[in-house]
Amino acid sequence: MTEPQGTVIDSKWLGIIAVLFGILLLANHGNELLKQSVLTPGSVAELVLAADCRVDELEEEGLSQQECELMVSNVQIALASSPQWFRPAMLWLSALGILFAIFSIVTGIAFVGGRKMNLTMAKFCFAALVAVDLCTFIAAVNTGPLLRVNYLWPTLLWFFIHLTFFAMVMSYSTSIERANN
Amino acid sequence: MEGPLPKSKVILHWLTAAAVLFLFVSSWWMLALPLPSENFTYRELPFQLHKNIGITVLIVVIVMIAVRIKSKMNKPQMAKTRLEKLAALDHVLTYFLITACCLSGYLSSSFSGWETTWWWLVNLPTWSAENDELNILFSDIHMWTCWALLAVIALHIGAALYHTFRNDEAIIKMFRL
Repeated sequence: MTEPQGTVIDSKWLGIIAVLFGILLLANHGNELLKQSVLTPGSVAELVLAADCRVDELEEEGLSQQECELMVSNVQIALASSPQWFRPAMLWLSALGILFAIFSIVTGIAFVGGRKMNLTMAKFCFAALVAVDLCTFIAAVNTGPLLRVNYLWPTLLWFFIHLTFFAMVMSYSTSIERANN
Repeated sequence: MEGPLPKSKVILHWLTAAAVLFLFVSSWWMLALPLPSENFTYRELPFQLHKNIGITVLIVVIVMIAVRIKSKMNKPQMAKTRLEKLAALDHVLTYFLITACCLSGYLSSSFSGWETTWWWLVNLPTWSAENDELNILFSDIHMWTCWALLAVIALHIGAALYHTFRNDEAIIKMFRL
C-alpha cells in the first residue's frame, strides 16, 4: 500500500493521542510533586531511626521484617542522594510539567475540534514539554547513582514522546502552510 | 451517528480519567513509604489525598451512572453489532470496577482503625472498631478490583485508539467541547 505524496498528518489523530499522553503525564507529574512534598530534608528518616514494624501491620501489607526496614532505607536513599537544589528544582519542574500537561490536553482537544488558534499553542506546548523533560534529565544526571536509577529512563522516554509530538506538530504546520500557499 | 455529548459529560470523563490514573500511580509509590508510626508519618499526606480523590471519584461515577441510566431510558433501543455490545460491556465493567475499587478502599480504611476524612472536612463513618480480618479482606478486594480496572482501562484506551485510526468518528464526541 502506498500513501499519496504530501499527505498531511491527521490533526484528529494527533489531538487524541496528545490528550491520552497529556492525561498520563498529568498523573506522572502530579505524583512527582506529591512525592517531593512528602520526602523533605531534615525529616525523621535522616535521623537514622529504627523502622517501626508492628506485626499486625506487616501481616496487613504482606511484608517481611526486612522489607519494612528497607522502606525507611528507601527514604534515606532518596534524601542522601539528593543535592540541596534537587528538591526545589523537581518541585518547579513537576509544577511546570502539570501546567503544560493540562495545556497539551487542551491543545489536543482543540486539534480534534479543528480550531484555528491551536498550531502556535501546540508548538509552544510541546517545545515546553521537551524543555521540561530535558531539564529533569539534566537535574537527575547530577544526583547520586541511587536516585539516577529512578529518574533517567522514564524521563528519557517522556523526552522522546514529546519530541515526537513536537516533530509531528512542526511537520503538520509546514504541510498546512504549503497547502495554503 | 449520535449528536454531540453535553460538555459536562465530556469534562467529567476526562477529570475522572486523570484522577484514576493519579490514584494508580500514587498507590504504587506510597506503599513503599515507611509504615506509619509515631516517628514515621510519610504516608499521612499521600494516603489522605488518595482517599480524598478516591471518594470524589466514587461520587462523580455514581452521578455519571445515574445520568447514563436516565439517558438510556429516554432513548429507543436499537439492535447492536457485536462490537457495540463489547463496547457497552466495557463501559459497564469500567463503572462497576471504579465503584468497587473506591468502595472497597473506603471499607478497608474504615476497618483499619484510621479515620476517613474527605478533603479534611467531612468525617466519614467507621463501621466498627478496628478489625484486621475485614481490613485485610477489603484491602485484597481493593487490590484485585484495581488490577482488573487497569486491564479494562487498557482495553478502553485500545478501543479508543482503534476507532481513532479507523477514522470512524466514534470517539470524536468525547473530545468536543
